Amino acid sequence: MTRILNIELRRSAALGTALILFVTGVLLLATDRAIFTTGWIQLAMTQRLYLAVLWPLALAAGAWQASREHRSKVAELFASTPRPQAHRVLPTLIAMAVAVLSGYLTMGIAGGLWIIGTAEYLPVAAFAVTAVGVLALIAAVWFGLAIGRLLPWRVTAPALGIAGMGLLLLIPGATRPHGWLALVFSPIYEMNMPGAYAAVPGRASIAQTLWLAALAVTALVLLASSGWRTRMAALLPVALGAALAITVMPHQNRFVNDAIDPVARELTCTEDAPRVCVSRIHSGLLTEVTAPAREGLAVLAKLPNAPTTVHEDTTIYFPDSYPPRRADTVLLDVETGDDAHLADRTDVWMKVVAGAFASPPDCEMSVDPADRIAAAHWLIGSEPAKASEDFEPEDSERAVQLWNDLRRLPADKAKARVVALRQAAVNCTADIGLFSKSTP
Amino acid sequence: MRTVSAAETAPTTYPWAIHAEGLRVRAGRHLAIDGLDLAMGIGVHGLLGPNGAGKTTLMRSLATVLKPADGRLTLLGESVDGRADLRKVRRRLGYLPQQFGFYPRFTVREFVEYMAWLKEMPKTAVPGAAQRAIERVGLAAKAEARMKTLSGGMLRRAGIAQAIVNDPAVLLLDEPTVGLDPEQRLDFRGLLRDMGVDSCVLVSTHLVEDVVAACTDVVMVNEGRLVYQGTPDGLVAQGGEGDPGDSPAERGYSALLRHYRAGAGK
Repeated sequence: MTRILNIELRRSAALGTALILFVTGVLLLATDRAIFTTGWIQLAMTQRLYLAVLWPLALAAGAWQASREHRSKVAELFASTPRPQAHRVLPTLIAMAVAVLSGYLTMGIAGGLWIIGTAEYLPVAAFAVTAVGVLALIAAVWFGLAIGRLLPWRVTAPALGIAGMGLLLLIPGATRPHGWLALVFSPIYEMNMPGAYAAVPGRASIAQTLWLAALAVTALVLLASSGWRTRMAALLPVALGAALAITVMPHQNRFVNDAIDPVARELTCTEDAPRVCVSRIHSGLLTEVTAPAREGLAVLAKLPNAPTTVHEDTTIYFPDSYPPRRADTVLLDVETGDDAHLADRTDVWMKVVAGAFASPPDCEMSVDPADRIAAAHWLIGSEPAKASEDFEPEDSERAVQLWNDLRRLPADKAKARVVALRQAAVNCTADIGLFSKSTP
Repeated sequence: MRTVSAAETAPTTYPWAIHAEGLRVRAGRHLAIDGLDLAMGIGVHGLLGPNGAGKTTLMRSLATVLKPADGRLTLLGESVDGRADLRKVRRRLGYLPQQFGFYPRFTVREFVEYMAWLKEMPKTAVPGAAQRAIERVGLAAKAEARMKTLSGGMLRRAGIAQAIVNDPAVLLLDEPTVGLDPEQRLDFRGLLRDMGVDSCVLVSTHLVEDVVAACTDVVMVNEGRLVYQGTPDGLVAQGGEGDPGDSPAERGYSALLRHYRAGAGK
């Protein structure tokens, strides 16, 4: 059996399948790296998203492999041998499962090598999400084998691949407005562009496992069967798996999209002052954030009651949750870039300075972004950029105007206006702008 | 050297390796074997007959690929009908179909080992048995070549190697000499004589010369019925000076067929 398995690993479609999955997967990952560079769970979820392509490929690979006996016209010869059909397919089943497993995992390793320098937080959920992805591919390749044996034609493999992709794309529409149903049956659903604090609840993974395992068992029953009666029996595991999965999955839309990993969102800080803190998911970026963040704090030190610490802005929406606001703390958006390092490294200190003029998010009278940019650049002593990723273009343009106005004022008057703006931001009384009437 | 199982050393309890009584087998809708009585034991049996005589259908039913429609068929003392568990008999069969299907990406050795596995040989016996079978057909130098790279004659020999890998008690070869050059045919006759020492070998062929040279027994069928069973010398004796053919055996073949057709026309 091991001997035959070795032969099948070398000579069946297994090697080609693993290679195709790996190459396709890596190319997909490379198209938009910023989606997965944040961390391990983001990588695992992005791999799951790309099952949109890999899953149909596995289906087609299984169907192609299953047509081998038909293509090679060995039915006559094999019919004279004692070994039952169910035994005969076993090495092929294992070889193809090993193939999709290695294709998917090496794709994950390639993505992992890209982020390994900065990705530190490794939640258990990342393994669960990957395991469900592997199971989805095994179910697909086995199901492909079963269908390919029933319909051993050349057209079966491409047709099954296209049908599989169509199915994945149609599931969300077909189940609307019951998004949770799509989550049961589609391994790619709600895996799109995970946020920094994304989580995949265990119950979702368990429900998906039940469904996919049922699909795999159905394929096995189909492969072992010889008559139409046993083939009808294959419907049993599918029905049972679907029922179980539907029971286990919470009947709640956006179940994964709304899930937040509180541990990923906790802050980890520098030990020395001035303190700089980032969320655990970004802990690998802390050293990259610290230096420019402290430069920003140094610039702000000119202000009375200047902020002394920088925290990552861990605000989330649905449900809204803001980090506590303190006058001594500047909140900073931290994002991972394409290269798995801190995005916009050169802008960090400017963002810290501008962050000192930001109002709390629940404040109804927040500071005009143009005022923030102008005040920050007056402190830094450089002209604001005409365009920036962090602000709207018209805000950037007005900021240049405001900055010029500030510069024309005597230094002490300008400083007074900047200090007043900072006070207004902290106190949430920002109907007062840099040049509104009530400021001196 | 190889391990000999208890089953192999046990005395045979059946008089004939292949025994058919009133056998009827369908090829599609057509009754290609129609009331055949045949008994064969140890030795090399040459199966002769014109195209459409039912040779291949007979081979396929003996290989347990086709189920008999009627009559009795016993292989190695086991009854072969619709309900029987054929696994025991099939373990002791070797079969080279007329259309030999194979996996083109496998090497010769891999394919022979794969077939040994399908024949449920003991795991430890497989590598040695495969090597021996490949050597016996003279393909040792090509053992690591992919099946798809073999020439027609080599493929035929690979087909024979897979058929004999399990040292079958019943070896069925459907036109094994197609594609072999004269030298290879001579080697093949030697192999047949070897195999015929302790197995029942049935070789279907159009080459009457092969039968005379290598077979201990001649079986001739036409229109699904037995025409003649006897020794090659007996076949030769049937022919007279006036019968068509370039050799005594061919003249005997023509004479038998003509007598049979004349008899059937009555």
